[in-house]
This record gives sequence, structure tokens and C-alpha cells, in this order.
Amino acid sequence: MAENNSEDSSSPPKKRKPRLIAFVGDFLISHSYAVSVFCCFAGSVALLLLPILAKNTYLSENALMPGSAKPTFSSQEAVTAKELIKELIDWKIIRDENRMQTYEIIANHMAETGADVYYHSFYSRKKQFHPMSFFMGAPMEDNNNHSSTHAVNSVGIIRAPHGDGKEAIVLVSPYNSDKMELSDALSVGLAYSIFCLLGRAAWLAKDIVWLAADSKFGEYASVAEWLKQYHDPVFIGKKLNFHPVDGDIQFVRGISEDFKRAGTMAAAIVFKVLETSQGTGTDNVNIYAESSNGQMPNLDLINIVHYLAVHRHGLHVEVGKLSSLLNSLWLKMVGKFLEGVSNIVGSLNPKWRFALPVLDYVEGTAVLASSVYHQALGVPTGPHGAFRDYQIDAITLEISPRVSLNSEMARSSFLVRVGRLIEGIVRSVNNLLEKFHQSFFLYFLTSPSKFVSVGVYMIPFGLLVMPLPILAAALYSGKASEALVQKSDPFNTQKSYKASQENPFPSVGSWKWIHAAKLVFAVHLWATIISVLPSLIYQASCTNTTTNFLIWIALSIPSFFFFYWISLSSYFHSNDAGWAILKALTIGAASIGLGLMSIINFATAQIGAIFLVPMCLMVHPLRQIYRGAGLGELLHMVSNVVLGLIGFPPASFILLKGWSQGFEEVNMGDLWVWVENLWSWNSATYLYLLLVHLPCWVLCLIVLLHP
Amino acid sequence: MEGRKYEAKKITKFSHLFLYLLFFSANASFESSFSFSSSSTNMHTNNWAVLVCTSRFWFNYRHMANTLSLYRTVKRLGIPDERIILMLADDMACNTRNSYPAQVFNNENHQLNLYGDNVEVDYRGYEVTVENFLRVLTGRHETAVPRSKRLLSDEGSHILLYMTGHGGDEFLKFQDSEEIQSQDLADAIEQMREKGRFKELLIMVDTCQAATLFSRLYSPGVLAIGSSLKGENSYSHHLDSDVGVSVVDRFTFYTLAFFERLNMYDNASLSSLFNSYNPNLLMSTAYYRMDLYKRPLDQVPVTNFFGSVMEMTHVDSAYHAFSGKTKYETPHIQMPSSDQSTDQAEQQELRTSDASIETKYSVKEVKPGNNHLMGQWKALLDMVEDTDAFVNYGLLAMALVAVISSWVLS
Repeated sequence: MAENNSEDSSSPPKKRKPRLIAFVGDFLISHSYAVSVFCCFAGSVALLLLPILAKNTYLSENALMPGSAKPTFSSQEAVTAKELIKELIDWKIIRDENRMQTYEIIANHMAETGADVYYHSFYSRKKQFHPMSFFMGAPMEDNNNHSSTHAVNSVGIIRAPHGDGKEAIVLVSPYNSDKMELSDALSVGLAYSIFCLLGRAAWLAKDIVWLAADSKFGEYASVAEWLKQYHDPVFIGKKLNFHPVDGDIQFVRGISEDFKRAGTMAAAIVFKVLETSQGTGTDNVNIYAESSNGQMPNLDLINIVHYLAVHRHGLHVEVGKLSSLLNSLWLKMVGKFLEGVSNIVGSLNPKWRFALPVLDYVEGTAVLASSVYHQALGVPTGPHGAFRDYQIDAITLEISPRVSLNSEMARSSFLVRVGRLIEGIVRSVNNLLEKFHQSFFLYFLTSPSKFVSVGVYMIPFGLLVMPLPILAAALYSGKASEALVQKSDPFNTQKSYKASQENPFPSVGSWKWIHAAKLVFAVHLWATIISVLPSLIYQASCTNTTTNFLIWIALSIPSFFFFYWISLSSYFHSNDAGWAILKALTIGAASIGLGLMSIINFATAQIGAIFLVPMCLMVHPLRQIYRGAGLGELLHMVSNVVLGLIGFPPASFILLKGWSQGFEEVNMGDLWVWVENLWSWNSATYLYLLLVHLPCWVLCLIVLLHP
Repeated sequence: MEGRKYEAKKITKFSHLFLYLLFFSANASFESSFSFSSSSTNMHTNNWAVLVCTSRFWFNYRHMANTLSLYRTVKRLGIPDERIILMLADDMACNTRNSYPAQVFNNENHQLNLYGDNVEVDYRGYEVTVENFLRVLTGRHETAVPRSKRLLSDEGSHILLYMTGHGGDEFLKFQDSEEIQSQDLADAIEQMREKGRFKELLIMVDTCQAATLFSRLYSPGVLAIGSSLKGENSYSHHLDSDVGVSVVDRFTFYTLAFFERLNMYDNASLSSLFNSYNPNLLMSTAYYRMDLYKRPLDQVPVTNFFGSVMEMTHVDSAYHAFSGKTKYETPHIQMPSSDQSTDQAEQQELRTSDASIETKYSVKEVKPGNNHLMGQWKALLDMVEDTDAFVNYGLLAMALVAVISSWVLS
């Protein structure tokens, strides 16, 4: 190349000297094979290094000051909580038609603290597919579609004594009014005792809203209905007459049916008490943070909870992890390998030592995988997800005691510990001056106190996706085809490279690509149509999930052949090397799809890239590989088939499910349930799977089977 | 003959005296209009304090508590409210998060409410800006700004400038939105010196890297002390777990601890204050800069800055003559009247009245002989042995002047 340049400069300027960026681009395209291999390898390594690159969390917002104030929650508050718990448990035993409803019991207690109290009643809604409202949170529009039963939330608002009433903190305690369990009663009792305490606090700057959410129709639904009403008031709503006409029940003063509001919500905390003890020796707090489409609350909120729970109250904090990864042998080997490398490097310079101990690495990877998975799924992990749809930072705390809570003593000490934690969280959030904005919104957790920020986790994705456009350009310009086929012969590559130097874009100007483009377009059109099919099938209301799935498949395959037939005739008229153009276009479509998806939900794009990129890069007509007879060709063929199999979404779903839960439990209906789950939660992952992943897989299949 | 000679001698003497009086009155009025620059550069006449808390928000409670503590201390040591400019960037007392509404404490024992009855905040909230701060220092106010918000110091003033907030290398943040740089501060202080707005200035800064803030100073007569060196943080002293915030910074806490042991009449020197800072307790190194300051620190009482106690010299003249009057409004002198002692007292007052109206607060220092006119006047007085005769001649001369003038005019 240098010789070329010197020749150019010495001879009269026949040809303009290429600019640097054009030169680099040309160079990359010419060496697309090496670039692809290097980038994929580097991307995978970077992915495995993520748990090591995780940083410790820290509180970014100065104003929060968690733990700086002494908690005032005492056993006195625990006594009030226990009274309510007892009342709620007794309620279950009494079988009397005229007894008070649970929401009334709770509301009466709320009113005793001097708060503004009202009932919010709502109907359950059917699951709905809203193709137009993706990315816009959970759907709740149709008013005609509700059932006849309703549930009632009790809501209490403490107005801050000196505050301006412009902001509020929301506490949510879900309980199921149909079957009141001890854990439900404990959640409500705990919330009540905190509410009592806050009612007396002089330091409130934000109003406190306690939502005792009747989770008869699901925890998420009750919270989401209330939030919808809070933010989108309905002025011509009909009042629900949910009291018996003869009405022995007297309204306690201060309870109304009018919907009342406090200010903008600064943060929301959902807490549930679990009865079952984890047996860890300490009380356990499980944090759920993921909400729809991989949105996360501000990291500071998790930091407050973690700091207070661990450093102030000695609780154990956990975030979700994929426990199946904990025993995985290959992960341990990777961890050991990294540790070994780090030890060798560390012996050269102790500062370069980077690795974690193997167990920490495996644990971190398991948590990271769970974090990525739940974000990628795009389905909220708890009622907090409803808040995120209104840009409110919220988390769910699932608190499990260290010992069984059947005894009074254990209950009381447990309530004091957890009550102080929640008081501390409220007081810290109360100190906040603006919305949470200092810390990260885009992160993966690798432990409750460690996170991978967006700047780090983008690197593996970038490395994985980078070869796609390069290879597409190489294939399109015809530079890569020979290099790929005859990759074992470096001399030949050199020659083809030189040949391409002379005529940089042989296929530019010809319209060969139009046939392939037509096929790509047809496949994407087909994918769009089948992505709407489940909703139609659901309308037909078959209850059997397996049947639904089979109908979906049965409808998809003929429609595919219809589109294939339309576009294929022209495709086959193109020349023999048409598959290269098709592959180029497929790869181009995949990289565009992945790039778009990484903006909408990064985690989905990350996982998608792991499946899609190797498949797209490796794909090659089997018949052409078959002509060669070496070991390399065999490997290439096998890997093509394997990647093609894994790349099929149902196949990969079944494999993953079977791997994590055992193959005997897998059936076709599960996949339907999973897909239905995705679209009923308006997850963008559904769109990705059907509009990006599936068409790319089909196109790869067409390339594989190219004659 | 003898008698006539005596008469003539007397007349000559009288005419000398008369001329002298005329000359002196002209001179005195001239002097009074330029007294800023000439007469009293060496006198310490009054004390001022500018106390600035530059940061807002609840979590900066301690900065307001720092400033209010200093405010209380300097008031206790004798600087009156009208000579304290108190700038508080936020109102912690009425913050909704304050569990003790309308009270501010600097200690978790809650024994001393700093925000009691007699707190006059001159600049509060968003009024505390770099612009207003520099205006206060340099005295360039809009006409509508009331006197209570102005630093009305003069060339005899000792000023204490206390600043606390969040700072960094050569800057101090104001209000979370702007900052003052060390060069700005140095220039403002040079302007103050040129305008004769202080005699001595003590700058006390409690921020991170406080020493950098006064590194650019170049005006003589300025002494500066900061809580920390470059690269060091200043830390809070302790947390009040009821209020839920840190309530005082370490440097200020130990400064206050030093002053709590003192009263107005103690003779503790600045060097004893400066040496009282223990780097281990402060967790930073208190640094003071004294290359611009001439007096040895061990001879300067702390009350020269933190209080309002001045050097006093006893003079013979009668104070009762002007005790109730202020001559500030009419600085030009009348024709000498018959009573010389009053006359003399008036001259004395003239020299200081422009500096301080409130003579009851400040005790004037008089150094005889620093004015050559005074010396001449004294010599002249020595010449006149017979005071009664002098008065009589004076009256006679006035009558004569009246007769002549009426005759000329008619």
C-alpha cells in the first residue's frame, strides 16, 4: 500500500490520493474476514469481562443523606401495626355478611391518623393487544371490556405540615382481599405503622401517599389503575356504588369517595412481606427494579435501600439472579481462566491484577444475566413497573424474615427493623430537592452494590455489531466472497484484494441487487403480518395455548410461501452469486434492526446480537461448502446448521427453558404463553423478535439452502 | 509712652492673632473636605463584619449554621448589628425539612438557637450573588439600596470577612449557579483599599481548598486564614441525628470553641487563635497568609477584628462639650467664637466626625502632634497668657468689624 502511495505521489496526479477515512474504510472492507473474527472474539471477551468491569455503586445525589437522621420507629409503632394485623387476620375467620370489608378496616385506621382518606375502586380488565401503543407503557383504555367484579384500593394522604404540597412520596402495600394471608396482613400492618409515624413527623417536605392496593386482579393492575386515575382524571366517571343499600357501615369522618391527589410523585416504594423465611440468618430484602421495556429506576434509589439496609440495619439485600448459572461448569472455568490470566499479569505488575475470585465472578455473572434477561424481556418485575410508565422512580422490596413470624415477639422485632428501614428511605427521599437525576438510569446490576454502566456495556454490543456493515459492504462490492470461500489460501486473498483494488466497486451500477432486495422486503412484510396474527387468534378466544400456537404456525407458513413465491421468481433469475447480495442485504437489515433496538431496549439488542451476529456472519450456501471436502468445510457446515437452529426463536426458547428447568416440562403452549405475555405487556422485545430476528433468520435459511 | 508702647504691642499681638484666626479657619475648612486622604490613616476607628454563607439547599445546613455562629460571636464581642452585613443564601430555619421549625443549631445538644430574636439578615436567599457580594465590598450600590445593606466602612475600619460554602481551587461557589474566583476577590479588595474602605482586613474562609481563594491577594493590610490547603477538603464536625444533617464545619467549630472562652475584654492575640487550630482535629491544615500584613500577630488582639475594641488614648479636652451634638452635617467651621476650648474641641471632632457619627460606640484615638496646624495653634495659645483679655479683645474686634462693615455698606 505504501508503495502504491509513493508511486501515486511521484507520478503526475492521474488518480487522487484517497482520503484517510476512505482508505481506512476500504482497508476494513478488504479485510472484512479478519475484522469480523477479531470483533466477534473481542465482543465475546468483553461480554465475559462485564462482571469484572462492574463498579461499586455510590450515592451521586448529595441531598439524599441516607442514614443521617436517627430512626424514630419504635416498638410503640410495632404495637399499632400488630393491632391492625390481628384485626385483618380475625377478619378472615369471621364469616358474617355484614362485616366490614378489608378496605374499610384499612381506611378507618388511615383516617384515625388524621390523613385524607378515600377509596379508589376499579374493575379488572382483560389482556389486550395494542399494536399501536408499544413503548407507551401498559395499556388501559377500554372501559367496556371490564368484568362485573371490582376491587377497592384504600388511599391515605398525609399532607406535609410545612410543605407546599407539590411533591409526594408513594408507599404501596399490596394485599389480596380475597384471601387474606398473614403476609398480606403484615404488609398492610407495616405500612400502617409507618404511616402513623409519618403522620406525626415534623420534617416532611413532601406529602406521603399510602396506597393499600387490593391485588385481587394482580398487584400491577391495581397500582396501574390508581396511577392512571391519578394522572388522567376522568371527569364524567360514574361513581361505583359498592356499598349495600341498607348500609350498616357508617363512613368514618374524613373518608370520601372523591379521588384526591397530592403533588408530583418523587419516588414510590412498594413493599411486600413474605412469610417464608429464607434461613439466611438475617432478614432478607429482595429488590425488584426492572419495569417495562428495560427501563430502570435511578440507581440512587437502589443505593439508598442498599446502604440503609446493609450498613444501618444489618439486613441482607439481594437482587434477582439466574440460579441455574451458579453451578455452571463452563462459567467456573471461564472465571478460573480469567483469574489465572490476572495472576500472571499481576506477577508482572501488581497493579494490573484485575480478576475477581471465581465464586464472585460466577455470582456476578448470574446476577448480571438475570438483570440483562429481565430488562430484555421488557416485562415489569413488579407493581413498581406501573410507576415507571409515568417516569416515576420506583422499586419493589420483598422482605422475608429470618424466622417464622407466627410468634408475637418475632413479629414485633421484625416490624421494628423493617419499619426503620422504610422510615429511613422515606426520610432520605424527602431530602431530595429535585427528581432523581444524578445517578444512572442505564445500567445492569451485578450485585446489589455493583453495577455496569451504559458506557461499559455498550462496548461488547458495539464490537459484535461492527462487523455487520463492514461485511455487508464487502459482500456487496464483491471483495469478500472469494476471501470467505477460500479463506485457507492467503495468497489467493491477496490476489483478490489486488484485483478489487483495480476495480473497487464492480457491482455498483448494476441492478442485480433489486431482486434480492425484493425478497428481503417480502420477508419483512410477511413478518409484520404474522406479528399481528396472535392478536387476531386471541380475539377468536381459543383457551388452549397449544392450539393457539399451532394455529399461529399454521397461518404463518402458508403466508410465507405466498410471499416467497411472489418474490422468488425474480430472485432465481439472478445469477449464481446472487446469494452474496442477499446475504449483504440480510446483514444490512440485521444491523439496522439491532441498532434501532439498542436505542429502544438495549438489553434486547445485546442478547439479540449474541444470537444474530454469528449466524449472519457465518451463513453460506451449504451446497457450496459441500463442494470442498476438508475439515474446515465440515466445521463451517456444522456451525452453520447449529447457528441456524439456535437462531430460530422458538428453538432457542425451548433450549433455554429446557436447560434451566428441565426438558420434560417444555411444551409448545409455553411459547405461546411467553409470547402472549410479551405482547400483553407491550414489550418491544416482541417487535424485535418478529420484525428483526425472525426475518433475518428466514433470510439466512434461504441463503443456506441456496442452490 | 510706656503705656502707648504697651498698647501698640498689644494691638500688634491682637492683629497677629486675628490674622491667624482667619487663616486657620480657611485652612480648617480645606482640611475637612480632604480628611479621607490625609489626616487619619493610622487610626483604627471602627469595626465591620461581612459574613457570607454562599450555599443553599437543606444538605448545606452547616454553612448557614457556621455563618450564624460567627454572627453571634462577633455580636457578643461588640460589633453592633448595623456594622454587620450578614448574607445567607438559604433559609434553613424555615425549611420544611427542619424538625425544629424556625430554629437553627450548631450543636447536637440544641442548647443554643442561633436563629433567635435579634438576627438581622441583610442579604438572604437569591440576593446572595457574586455581584451583590462584590457590590457590598466595593460600595458600588444602586441609589435605592438602603444603608443597612451597605458596608459603610472607612479608612479606619477593621473588617472581618467570613465566607463559607463549597469551594475549589481558586473559586468559591455561590448559590449552586455561579462562583467567585480568587482574582475577582483580590481585585475587589484592592479597589476597597484604593477607596479607603478599610484599614485592616481579615479574610476567614471555611471551604475546601480555602487557601487557594486568597492566593491572589495583593493589597497591603490584608490578613487571610483558610481552613484547608490546596488539595485538601474541609470537613463537617458532627452530624445532628435529630435534624438529620451535619450542623457545623470543623474549622468554624474550633474557631467558635476558641471564642467561647473569651469575652470582650480578653487580650487573646490573633496568633493564639491561629495556633489553636490542630490539623488532626480539623482533618485539614489551616493556613494563614500574613505577607501583606505588617503588624506582628502576637500583638494584635482578636477583638481588633472579631470585636469592636479599640486602642484608647486619654486626652485632656472636655468631652461634655460635644457629647450630644453631631457636627457631621456642617463640617465647615464658623468664625472663631469667644470660647477657645470649645473651638479646639470642635476641631478635634471635625477630624473624626466624618469617620464616625456614633461617638458613643467608638473611642477616639488622638495622637497629638500629627497635625502641624494643631501644633501652631497650640503655640499660639501658649502665646496668649491672659485668657480673659484675649476674650475681651476678641469681642472688641468683632464689634469693630461690625461697625466698619456697616459703615462701608451704608
